[in-house]
Parts: sequence; C-alpha cells; structure tokens
Amino acid sequence: MNLLINAIRKNLNYLILVSVILLIAPAAFMKLNLPFPANALFLCLMYAIMAMAWNLLAGYGGQLSIGHAVFFGVGAYTTMILMLYYQVTPWVGIFVGGFVAAITGLALGIPLFRLRSHWFTLATIAVGEIFKLVFITWEWVGGSRGLQPPIAKSDWEALYFIQYAGPYVYVYIALGVLALELLVLYLVVNSKIGFYLQAIREDEDAAMSLGVNPFNYKMVAMFISAFFTGMGGGLYTIRFRFVDPFAVFDLITISVYITVAGIVGGIYSFIGPVVGSFVFVPVSEYVRAQIVSRFPRFYGLHVFVLGVLLLIISLIAPDGIMGWLEKKGVVKRRVAIPVEEVE
Amino acid sequence: MLIGAESVLSALVDGVLIGSIYSLIAMGLALIWGIMDVINFAQGDYMMLGAFLTYWLYVLAGIDPLLSIPLSFATVFVMGVITQKAVIDRILDAPMVSQITATFAVLLIIRYGAEVVFGPYTRRLTVSYLSEVLRFGPIVVPMNRLVAFLVSIVVTAVLFLFLKMTYTGIALRAVSQNREAAYLMGINVSRMYWIAFGIGVGISAIGGTLLATFYPIHPEMAAFFTLLAFIIVVFGGFGSVFGAYISGIIIGVTESVSALFISPTLKDVVAFLLFIIVILVKPTGLFGKEQ
Repeated sequence: MNLLINAIRKNLNYLILVSVILLIAPAAFMKLNLPFPANALFLCLMYAIMAMAWNLLAGYGGQLSIGHAVFFGVGAYTTMILMLYYQVTPWVGIFVGGFVAAITGLALGIPLFRLRSHWFTLATIAVGEIFKLVFITWEWVGGSRGLQPPIAKSDWEALYFIQYAGPYVYVYIALGVLALELLVLYLVVNSKIGFYLQAIREDEDAAMSLGVNPFNYKMVAMFISAFFTGMGGGLYTIRFRFVDPFAVFDLITISVYITVAGIVGGIYSFIGPVVGSFVFVPVSEYVRAQIVSRFPRFYGLHVFVLGVLLLIISLIAPDGIMGWLEKKGVVKRRVAIPVEEVE
Repeated sequence: MLIGAESVLSALVDGVLIGSIYSLIAMGLALIWGIMDVINFAQGDYMMLGAFLTYWLYVLAGIDPLLSIPLSFATVFVMGVITQKAVIDRILDAPMVSQITATFAVLLIIRYGAEVVFGPYTRRLTVSYLSEVLRFGPIVVPMNRLVAFLVSIVVTAVLFLFLKMTYTGIALRAVSQNREAAYLMGINVSRMYWIAFGIGVGISAIGGTLLATFYPIHPEMAAFFTLLAFIIVVFGGFGSVFGAYISGIIIGVTESVSALFISPTLKDVVAFLLFIIVILVKPTGLFGKEQ
C-alpha cells in the first residue's frame, strides 16, 4: 500500500490532469452531441484494458499470446448469458465474466505453459480458433446467430441492464474498470510476482534454479490477465448488446489488435499498452468511419493501416512508443527491458 | 447413423487430394522455418496472391490456370525476395516478439492491401475442361482436384531434386543445418536467405494457383490455410520439407474423415486439437529429428 501511495504522490499532477480530462470528455461529447469521439474513446479504453492485461503475460512474463480473444469471448458470453437466461444484472455479470474467463485461463494454462516461446504463441492461436468453432456449433449459446438481450422497458430496467443511448455512459464504466485494473496491476508488478515474472522472461532455467517455480507464477499472471480481458468482453456486451462468435473470438480484431496495442505502446513499460491503444484505435477508427463506412469498396483499409503501423514499430522501435521515449530520456525507465536487447 | 464403406473411401480420396494443396503451402513454410528460423505468418497470404494472379491472368488474358503456374511462382518469388530484403533481413537476430509481430504486420499488409485493391468480393474461376468429373466405380473425382494433386507431386519432386542435386540446394540444406559452419565453408548465407524465402512463398503461390481452380477466391481466404500450414509443419517435424508433404496429406485425410463422422464445422477442431497434442507430446513432429 505504501508503494501505491508513493507512486500516486509522485505522479499526482499527471494523474489529476489525465483523470480530469477523461472524466470531463464524455460529458462534453454528450453535451455537444459528438458520438464519434465518444465511441472512439470507449474503444480506446476497452482495448487499453485488454492490452494492459495481455501485457502482464507478454511483456512481464515473456509469454506472447495471440489468443486472448478466448478470454474476451468467454467474458462477453458469460455476461450476456447471465443477463439473457438468468436476468442477472451486468453490474455483477461483468465481474462473473472476468472470473469465468480467469478459470478458463487456468484450465488452458495447464497444457499451454508446458510450451515455450513461439510454440506457446502458435498454440494460443489454435486455441482461439477452437473456441470460435465450438461456439459456432454450440446451440445453447445461440450458435452462429449469436445472442441479443431484451430491450429495457423502464428507467429501472435500463439501469439494471445498463442500456443507455450512445457510448457516453459506457465510457465512464470502462474508465472505472481501467482504474481498478491499473491499481491491481501496479501492485502485482511491483510485488515479488512481477519480479519473478521478469526473471522467468529473461531465463526460465536460471529462474528455476533460484527456486522460482515458473509454472506457478505464469498461472498467477494468466489468472489476472484472463480476468481483466474477460471484463473487457463484458464491457463489449453491454455496449454493443450483441454477441456472436465471429466478432468476439476474431483472431484479427481482438487477439491481434490487443497485440498491436501492446507493441505500439511498448511492452516493457507499465503504461505502454494504454498509450498504444490511445494511438492505434483513433487511427483505425478514423479510417474505418471516414473512409471504409462511406466507401465499402475499400473495406480492409483500416486493418491495412494497422499493418503498416505495426511493421514500422516492429522494425524501427521494437520497444514501442514508451520504449522510444525512454531511450530519448523523455520518460524515466521503470521496467527492465530484456537483456538480449541491451547493446 | 450409417456410414457406408463407399463414403469412407471417397472421404479418403477427397482428403488426399485437398491435403496435397495444404502440403504445398506447408512445404514453403517448413523451408523458410528450417533455413532462417523465422515463422512466416504471412505464408498463406502469398498463396492468396498466387490465386488472384491466376484468376486475373485467366479473366483478362485468357491464360490457362495450368500455364500460369510458372508465372505465379516467378511473380510471388520476386515479391518474397522483396519482403525478405525489406523486412525479414532486419529481424533475423531480433527478439522472438519482434519476429512474430513483423511477419504478422506483413500478413495484415498483404491480406488487407489485397482486399483494398481487389475489393471484399468472392470470385470463382471456372475452366470447362477442369470442371469435368471422373468416375472410378463408386468414387467421384473432380478433374481440377486430380490435376492439383498431380501438379503437387511434380512440384515436390522438383523441389526434392533441387535440394539434393544442385549446388544451391545443397547450400540451402547446409545453412539449415548450421548457419555458422555454412558461412565458414564459403556459402553466401544472406543469398541463401532470399532464395529460400522466394522459393518458400513461390511454392505456396503454386498452391494458390491450383486452389483457384476449385475454391472461392477471396482476399481473406488465407486465414484458414495459414493455420493449417502451421499444424502440418509442426506435425511433420518442424523444418522437414518432405515431412510437411506427407503430413499435409495426413491432415487432409483426418479432416475429411472427421467431417464425415463428426460434423463439417468441427472437422477443423479435430485438426487444431491434434496440433496442440502433437506440440505437447512430441514437439519434433512425426518426421523431425531429435535435437
């Protein structure tokens, strides 16, 4: 706790500035009737939540997953099914969704963490596809048609099922989830768990010889990572009110986008994935809304732009925007970068 | 549910025929993986380029798909060499994360670049003599698939002879066995890299050309084939080119038989599960050498 208080005290000015901007922005967008920036802000926050969670495994633990759509989808479906079949409010459902995703993560971790480096990555991609195919054929969860909640009939129901017009309310909910996540992750990465994970990333055998059980700490990281990714799925459910296997288990728009957010922002920086989301989502959303929506003939341009962005970052600044800023001395380095990258 | 011996037999034939196409894509992946130790996530998208090239050559210039095979190989070979020089060369010694994200970026650029250029439409290529059907008793074999199977055997044989008989082929194998030792023996390793990458994606493009004669052509068609190619390469033993050919056919048969017994949608689940089981139990694959 002292650690947290110190960190908050040190960065108080920035924190107040960013919080005030983020708290005022959605209200301002609503007043001025600007749904586009509000929606982009929501997506920035949703991808930031997932990329931060993903980075605990990828950046700190060195386990590059391109299958996080599994946890996103499980979270989204759990929230939806609780709401649709059992009338459970998503205020609770989002947390349950995160928990079910976390349990799924533990179950998958048992076989997957026996694999190292790119074998792990390949297996996560395969697991993502398996989940998509199973949900397509699983009739109880709507099969390929997906699920839709009933429409709220009263103000009380709107509050109970969190159904509001426009993206504005959801931005505040996403802000709440991101704040909670940043708190938890900050405590985790600055505890011994965070340092053990980095040791495992650097040299798994050396970490083991010093008495760190890699499997146990990877499982802890997986639990937390899957939990918050699942909450991201719950946010998707309440915001878009429609869940189908093609959207929530998508390799490109979920698993790869999360990776892009992490890489662009910098995976060896605590806040990097948030920075990455706030850079790549507005670019992609702008192209999608301004060009692709108007000229459907050019469908795919928004993803093509991301490919170019990802390539430039991978070749020129593999440590992302935050890593680049750290190298230039603009930002102080807080997380150790891998030894193999130090010249 | 009763499944007759005849439908099992046709499923087996179907599996072998489609599996030979999977093999072409997977052999290229295995070649690149074995020689450069780089996983090319964009492998299937070079296949898609081959399919589109064949389509446009037929539609615009009336060139027969079988005659477009060398053109398809040559064009995509050049594109592969450009990719190798511009991207892959810079990430050879980079950390694993940068290698994966860079080839994923190439995937996004090719796949969605093609979608922007060609439009998000599905196209079909129908050539009259390839649309015929041959009957061997109860088994029905479409002409286009039989041709694809025969061409894949020829391509594999040519690749085999190239790797065993020519200086370049032997040098490629030397680099795949030991990069430093090959370098010390006077082999130009960076030249071998662009040759390997060009051939690797070129073979995949031949697969695309053959696929175009019976499969819907779409800019995003590669998604499924890339995943299968990974499964096949891992199954056949990573880096083993001919292991990839055999295991491609095994995966093809597995899929068509599970489509018959389980369900057509879940046939891919069987292949993906097999993949995870293989990397857990025997990561060196069926034909891979123990390291």
